[in-house]
Amino acid sequence: MRVVFLTEMTTTIAKMMENGAQLFARLDGRRSLKDIEPHIFPDGAGPVQGDVVEFHGTEGSGKTETLFHLVSHCILPVDRGGLEVEVMFVDTDYHFDMLRLVTVLERRLGEEAREEDGVAAAESEVQVRACLARLYVVHCSTSVQLLLTLHHLESTFCSRPALCLLVIDSISAFYWVDRSGGGESVAKQEANLRRCSELLERLLRDCRIVVFATTHAIMRNYRHSGQASTASLTPAAAETSSSSSWRQWSSTHASDFDRPYLSRAWQRLVTHRLLFSKGEVTQDKKQLFSAACTTTRTVGAKCSSFCVMEGGVQFL
Amino acid sequence: MVVLRDGMCPGLSEEMVVALRAADITTVEDLLSSDTEDLAQKCSVSYKALLAVRRVLLAQHTAFPVSGDDLYEDLMSSTAIVSTGNSSLDKLLDSGLYTGELTELAGGPGSGKTQVCFGVTVNISYQLKQSVIYIDSTGGLSASRLLQILQKICKLEEQMEALQRIQVYRVFDIFSLIDCLQSLQCTGLQRASAGGGSVKAVIVDSVSAVISPILGGKQNEGMSMMMQVAGVLKTIAKDFNVAVLVTNTVTRDCNGNLKAGLGQSWSHVPRTRIILQRFESPGSTCSSLRTATLAKSSRQPCLLKEEFDLQCWGRSEDQLYEVSGKRKLEKNSPY
Repeated sequence: MRVVFLTEMTTTIAKMMENGAQLFARLDGRRSLKDIEPHIFPDGAGPVQGDVVEFHGTEGSGKTETLFHLVSHCILPVDRGGLEVEVMFVDTDYHFDMLRLVTVLERRLGEEAREEDGVAAAESEVQVRACLARLYVVHCSTSVQLLLTLHHLESTFCSRPALCLLVIDSISAFYWVDRSGGGESVAKQEANLRRCSELLERLLRDCRIVVFATTHAIMRNYRHSGQASTASLTPAAAETSSSSSWRQWSSTHASDFDRPYLSRAWQRLVTHRLLFSKGEVTQDKKQLFSAACTTTRTVGAKCSSFCVMEGGVQFL
Repeated sequence: MVVLRDGMCPGLSEEMVVALRAADITTVEDLLSSDTEDLAQKCSVSYKALLAVRRVLLAQHTAFPVSGDDLYEDLMSSTAIVSTGNSSLDKLLDSGLYTGELTELAGGPGSGKTQVCFGVTVNISYQLKQSVIYIDSTGGLSASRLLQILQKICKLEEQMEALQRIQVYRVFDIFSLIDCLQSLQCTGLQRASAGGGSVKAVIVDSVSAVISPILGGKQNEGMSMMMQVAGVLKTIAKDFNVAVLVTNTVTRDCNGNLKAGLGQSWSHVPRTRIILQRFESPGSTCSSLRTATLAKSSRQPCLLKEEFDLQCWGRSEDQLYEVSGKRKLEKNSPY
């Protein structure tokens, strides 16, 4: 009996010990993404370690393009104006377009060097490869697989201090399948997402990473639809608006599809919310997009508009 | 939900499963989400054994991250661009259907969705000599029309060869569609490539015909099944590296513009979407002219518009050269 107890003790101690890399990663290794894109995030309120940014928008409102813009900024080397950090991209929508990311990277690398000869092209290829080596992609096809993959990634995050950003595109991909799979009970319907959120919470706390996640806008906001200004006067809206700044913002600027519908456990984690919408088409046939950022640390929303060019997102 | 069973991984004995079940741990998710140390105490199983089981289960069920560098390498060597056989459509799609992606054709009745599917099918089976899986859910597939297109462009024995490379599955409800897709997934598209050449495209004409009857109301089984279809199609596209082409109906949004049917959740599913319309021009009697608008793409600017003729797939090469006046690659149509 005593022997069993001792072995259990040693394994527990072994579990509590960590190597230098893990300690470094846990304490101060990660870089902050605070200045990742001053156009989108409010001054001084960019995502720092432990923050979760939610990208919310309908189909074709520029979420993925913005993600690519931010991811390419992260993986570009410092001497090219990037952050030179590693990124883990979890693709649940099977929408990750590597060719597009490479185009964006090539454009950003080629901004300074414009030679057209073969040497420069080969060099740019090497540079793109070097950038891509800082990116990891994982595809998940069910919510269970997502949960288990996140469990598996926990150790990866602990041992790689350069890995600063976890991108989940999208966290709402399994919403309908989970809802129907859980039967009548809401707790069961949300079980997997709740567990994912709990795990993410731990990752955010222990490893100090930043999470970017997209959510599809699929729920129509019936309460606010149409008369947004009168809606803010109703007691229900007034009550929610006092709770957080983005509710207040959205009750006056509501688009039809901005209702958060995912599990509360997830909503609680989100510190920044980016609301994407499609704007009008300009005279020279450019589609405008806009993003409104609200955070838990600032009041009001920071709006930015951009258009998508061949080389990626361009802010106006 | 993956239920824990004995023998599902080495080290997971029957006693352990029973002990875990007593502590309300029935699935792999339960096991991995709970604290191993507490669990070992609660179920009085060895911590070491539980940790080993946990490791094996994780290795069995997770997806593994691939370095972006390797993924790019893979992609460059495996991605094929399958020409549709129509230069206007190819121009919209940035030279064709990309393998590994889901492309959607949306359009009202008579806008030429099925004809485009036929054209793409014939082009892949005859010009590119590759196999096609055609899943027909409307009964709209007409073998004689396929033959008619082929007759105009090739000789008898080639026609038969080309037709043999087209595998047709008929499904008339969502259950048989999911069944069919899952069995294709299990066999790895092996059986379908019997006619020679590997499968390069899976065409579903149409998804809306089987999905729209189960949507609506306050129930969410319909939505769930729709997303399952989407999931299987996307995994087939990626895992077997084939191009998936689906057709969909259209509705109008509040401004009166055409948009693809099946609602918001489906709208996120295809990577590329083309909206087909009849070409409306006063005095035009030719009914085979259509316009195609790019509604969603990650490679080209959206709202690009092209006109094309549905009859172009039935033209022989001689006619093609006659019209274009110079020798072109066979994938180019006269426009």
